Amino acid sequence: MRVLLVEDDDLIGSGVEAGLHQAGFTVDWAQDGRKANLALTTTTYELIVLDLGLPKMGGRELLKWLRDREKDTPVLVLTASDTVADRVGGLEAGADDYLCKPFDLAELIARCRALLRRAQGRSVEVIRHGSLTVDRETQSVMRDDERIPLTARELTVLIQLLTHQGIPQSRSRLEESLYGWQEEIESNAVEVHISNLRKKLGTNLIRTVRGIGYVVEKTS
Amino acid sequence: MKATIRLRLMLLVLASIAFVWSVTLVSSYFQATHEVEEWEDIRLSQIARTLVLADENDLAVLSKAHFNARGKDEDGDSFEDEDDSPRDLLFQVRDANGRVLGSSPELVLLNAWNDPSNVENSTRMLMLGGRPWHTYTLHDGATGRTAHVLELANGRSDLAAGVARRISAPMVFALPILALLVWLSISQSLAPLKVLSKAIRTRDVGELEPIDMVSAPVEVRPLVDAINHLLIQLRRSIKRERAFTSDAAHELKTPLAAIKVQAQVALSTRDVAQQRLAMQRVVEGVDRSAHLADQLLLLARLDESDPLSTSIIELTSVALDTVVSNEKDALRKGIRVMLVEDAIVKVIAEPTLMRILLDNLIDNAIKYGDRGGRVEVIVRRSATAGLLMVRDDGPGVMAEDQTRLTDRFFRVTGNRANGSGLGLSIVARIVEYFGAQLIFRTGIGGRGLAVEISFPLADAPTES
Repeated sequence: MRVLLVEDDDLIGSGVEAGLHQAGFTVDWAQDGRKANLALTTTTYELIVLDLGLPKMGGRELLKWLRDREKDTPVLVLTASDTVADRVGGLEAGADDYLCKPFDLAELIARCRALLRRAQGRSVEVIRHGSLTVDRETQSVMRDDERIPLTARELTVLIQLLTHQGIPQSRSRLEESLYGWQEEIESNAVEVHISNLRKKLGTNLIRTVRGIGYVVEKTS
Repeated sequence: MKATIRLRLMLLVLASIAFVWSVTLVSSYFQATHEVEEWEDIRLSQIARTLVLADENDLAVLSKAHFNARGKDEDGDSFEDEDDSPRDLLFQVRDANGRVLGSSPELVLLNAWNDPSNVENSTRMLMLGGRPWHTYTLHDGATGRTAHVLELANGRSDLAAGVARRISAPMVFALPILALLVWLSISQSLAPLKVLSKAIRTRDVGELEPIDMVSAPVEVRPLVDAINHLLIQLRRSIKRERAFTSDAAHELKTPLAAIKVQAQVALSTRDVAQQRLAMQRVVEGVDRSAHLADQLLLLARLDESDPLSTSIIELTSVALDTVVSNEKDALRKGIRVMLVEDAIVKVIAEPTLMRILLDNLIDNAIKYGDRGGRVEVIVRRSATAGLLMVRDDGPGVMAEDQTRLTDRFFRVTGNRANGSGLGLSIVARIVEYFGAQLIFRTGIGGRGLAVEISFPLADAPTES
């Protein structure tokens, strides 16, 4: 689950990055509007956490640029000013949710998850597929009543596939969801994770679409 | 006794009236006295004329009987006799040979048997028997007789006093009435002041709109205007204060948010290294808020502008101290800080504030300068001022932003350093405090920012 964090403050930025990372998100942290802009043109993000008071390109400007390009990535806005006018302005400019500084990290993560659920048309954190149950909040996978141990990376790949059922996910798309900017991408990593998932969950859950990638079919 | 306009006006007006009245009274009294005397003189001369023409027998009768020439006053009581002296008229008539035809016997007692005045056809004042007497001597050419008439003078002044009393009586009655009228008039005139004070008294503390007194008289207008001017200034200053408080609260939220986030990261992670890092960042965040609080306090204290004791300071030594204390930060960014001293410059300033000023400037230059760059602290002397300049070769500040650099909480967009946005506001405030001038220029080699402050010299040569 790749998230773009746009925050100019060192301390807040690093804290939010660490918090989101712990919650199982892959985080890219841009410290000014221009870098965020660049990241958005090259990478697909599931969610954007945006500080409104940004240098170089203001948060509101960035938001407008994003919405003008008809990208409907959910945006959670962080700001120090909590006047009604500010909140209304932010929401009108295209923000999906609003958090005032100082905010609670747990609330930030909960709101991020809620935004993602809404974007994916779900209302709970639990994804079910046949006999398989994935709880994103507790990051646990169950088949019937049996708990299946997965690594964080395997879980990320599985969630990416389960949240896009019926839509084949390319290798690079899966890599994007796995690695942030600072992380080295290991070659064959996606294949290794898929193979491990098949070993743990059975071979017929994830289907290979030749020349495109992998898909989990919708359950009828 | 409290000074009141009403009382003062009352006293002034009444005193003026009393004074003018007294003058009028005195002059009326003299006028009346004069009139009375003229009239008395005519009367005396007429009596003398009658006596000259009188029969010898009649004169003999008259000399035996006392006669009152003035007679009783018609009112009978308006002339109060304050003396028991005889009112009587004394006379003596002689024929051409000087033989006495008739005379009041009292003349002998008064030792005035022979006419002492010796002046004919005019009134004279004589002291006889210790009393003033009016005398009149008439010499009739046809009969050759001489009539001599004497009358006590104090009776005449009684008449004059009576006239004066009559004139002054209505004035005495009029005075209280006048006082009342004056009192009412003053009250009426002071009414706008009462309205004004009521308008001020009934106001709430927060109500700082100008007082609306369109109908105020010209004399009260300046007072209303002055109060309104004060109110406008007060309102502006309160507005400024509120904006500052809200900005300050806003700025304090950022480090607080950072501390909270980092603390929560530390609480939720199981990774010890991550926990340590987060806790270090918590400490950093606390430092940052403490710095911000310090800066805010300093600004508040500068705004109070209590006079501080100034002394003569040598710029170079303060500059050297500050450069040394900022060395660590400079080294961390690989920035070289140089002190360039062209002259010994002594200025009148307060040492602590001077250090804060220089510290802010050098700290800014290091914070916003480029890694591996250069910072120069220049102490120079012009003909009229001591110049202190701190310049760097960093990214600099655009001209349109330079005018806003000293605004509180203003930060140039794009800067990555963690400033409070107050440093240059503090510098500007201190500069103002010292009566110095602050100018922004381009920094080293056409890059970066230079902050130049010109101080009035402590040892300025006297103007030639």
